[in-house]
Amino acid sequence: MITRTAPPAADPESRLRPLRYGVAIAVTALVILALIASSILNYVYLDTIPARASLYGLLAVASITLGTYILVRAFDRDRATRRNHLIRAAVLIGLGVLLWLLVIDVFVFTQSAGPGIAAVCALACLPTTAFGLFVVRRMDRNHKEPWRLVLVAAAWGAIVATSLVVWGETLWESSAQHALVPGPGLDTSLAFMAGILEELAKGTAVLLLFLVMRDQFDDVVDGIVYGAAVGLGFNFLESVSYMTNLYSIYQPEGTGAFAAGIQWYGRQVLGLFFGHATYTAYIGAGVGIARQLPSVRRKALAIVAGFVVAIAAHFSWDAWATIFPIQNNFFGIVEIHLRTLIMTGPFTAGLIALLIFGIRYEGQNLVDQLRKEAATGQGAILPEEVQILASPWQRLAQRMRAMGRAGVRGYFTVSRLQTAQLDLAMERWHRERKEIDTPLEAEQELRRRVIQLRHWVAA
Amino acid sequence: MSSVTYDQLRVLYRTLLIFATVGTVILAIGLVEFVYYEPPGQSSGIKAHIVGVYAYDPATKQVNGPDRSEFPRAGEFAAVVDWGSLPGSLVVDARWYDSFGALEGKVGPGTPAQLAGDSVIPVEVPPGFHYVLPGRYTFVVERWKDGMPVEVLGRRFVVVDRS
Repeated sequence: MITRTAPPAADPESRLRPLRYGVAIAVTALVILALIASSILNYVYLDTIPARASLYGLLAVASITLGTYILVRAFDRDRATRRNHLIRAAVLIGLGVLLWLLVIDVFVFTQSAGPGIAAVCALACLPTTAFGLFVVRRMDRNHKEPWRLVLVAAAWGAIVATSLVVWGETLWESSAQHALVPGPGLDTSLAFMAGILEELAKGTAVLLLFLVMRDQFDDVVDGIVYGAAVGLGFNFLESVSYMTNLYSIYQPEGTGAFAAGIQWYGRQVLGLFFGHATYTAYIGAGVGIARQLPSVRRKALAIVAGFVVAIAAHFSWDAWATIFPIQNNFFGIVEIHLRTLIMTGPFTAGLIALLIFGIRYEGQNLVDQLRKEAATGQGAILPEEVQILASPWQRLAQRMRAMGRAGVRGYFTVSRLQTAQLDLAMERWHRERKEIDTPLEAEQELRRRVIQLRHWVAA
Repeated sequence: MSSVTYDQLRVLYRTLLIFATVGTVILAIGLVEFVYYEPPGQSSGIKAHIVGVYAYDPATKQVNGPDRSEFPRAGEFAAVVDWGSLPGSLVVDARWYDSFGALEGKVGPGTPAQLAGDSVIPVEVPPGFHYVLPGRYTFVVERWKDGMPVEVLGRRFVVVDRS
């Protein structure tokens, strides 16, 4: 029989854990309600869903049905296996919801040029978006985030955030076009619309990751990585929608592919890191800084500050990009690049400054914790390993040496050991700062895991 | 927690607050810009009479057929405005905008009497194109004040099909 234990927490007085889970549930409930409302309104007012989409919808329904079944059965099982069943159920239900949202998105955003062109546009955007995600994940040179969370963040940006904004933007745009004088006033209103609604929708993903996946959300660097990943996902679907839309508009004039290509270059090459990735990374930076601040008031202020910068950056581009005239000649190509550099460059530069400082801050503290752990003599981190673990290049060199000795398996075994050692240092850092709510046993478990991996490496 | 660590976090926090201050200024400038182009208290209660939107023959510069809100891509169209429905002291214009917000045809600004000969306002085919671009077109009759439009006196939306 498994008995419940009450291990000591790092900060016994912390009451934030139940509170943040409550906030996460409330945010999730609001998102689900908004999505249901958006889906119904899309169906009723925009058009009916084509038959082919219903097939994908069936898959979504099947996933949700199976997930629900496993969820119900999970509570009949013993405590030891219940968790695994709950995770399976959550994955299936989540997959079903994402599939359904994808159906809606494909229908809403890509119907204009037909599924074939939409597929070509999506294929064109996949490699660039994948490259963006690769670069963004590698920015965290001390402690990389798991691919599954980076991809979840990107999927939220592509599927959930776009679904969240479509109805709100339709409503705002329609109201503004019926009430305002066409021209700069209307353009400014629409720029506010895009900045506010799109950043709120994308930022909700970062906020939920912060509330639910605290173990993988360590600081400002992680926030920037997750925020940029959400932005890249959003940029992916927005690129596909703009490319297909412009293709369908200009194709009868024989310039559809050229118009779609210009959009691809502007959004997937020139604006890959400058646009949505930069905006939402600011929200992540705010949430990441809040993660480590001691008072609730400062946490709230940091999160609001991140949102304000993101909305302002997004607004300034949408409202004022047209101030820069683009000539219809060769120099126009240069002007397009200059416009992006001048309009969004300062925001990206500010973000890079936060990122560099955050990496330095994180790195110094990890080295400090590695040294302290080595000094305990428990064997998880040896004194001679501290310098290796502190440097990404030396870690890579160590992995390459392992590969030379034991092949690919050796490379990945050492990689797992290094990751576990850095996880331990990160855990120690958060515990020292009293910003963690997992019990001390979690740290001991990490230490045991490192020692176990070390035995494997030695073997 | 060491003081060095706290200082580093404080630098990050304060830097973000500075950025947020800049962001607030940007949003405030945007708000001022919006109020400048959409000045409050400009509702005069005057309504322009837009007779309708009709198929248009550019050769004869005449409209024909019934009033419609949807046109095929290959068909040109024009709005007809009854300028006599407006007070003679106003300065007004009429404009067509495409779905990108680009100006695609206009008359004015001028007094209704000056525009009396321009009651048919066609949508212009963009230079280098065979037909008008598909999408939603907005036609507005605007009242001018201090050199810029401040109020929409009449509005019509027209959809141009993709095929």
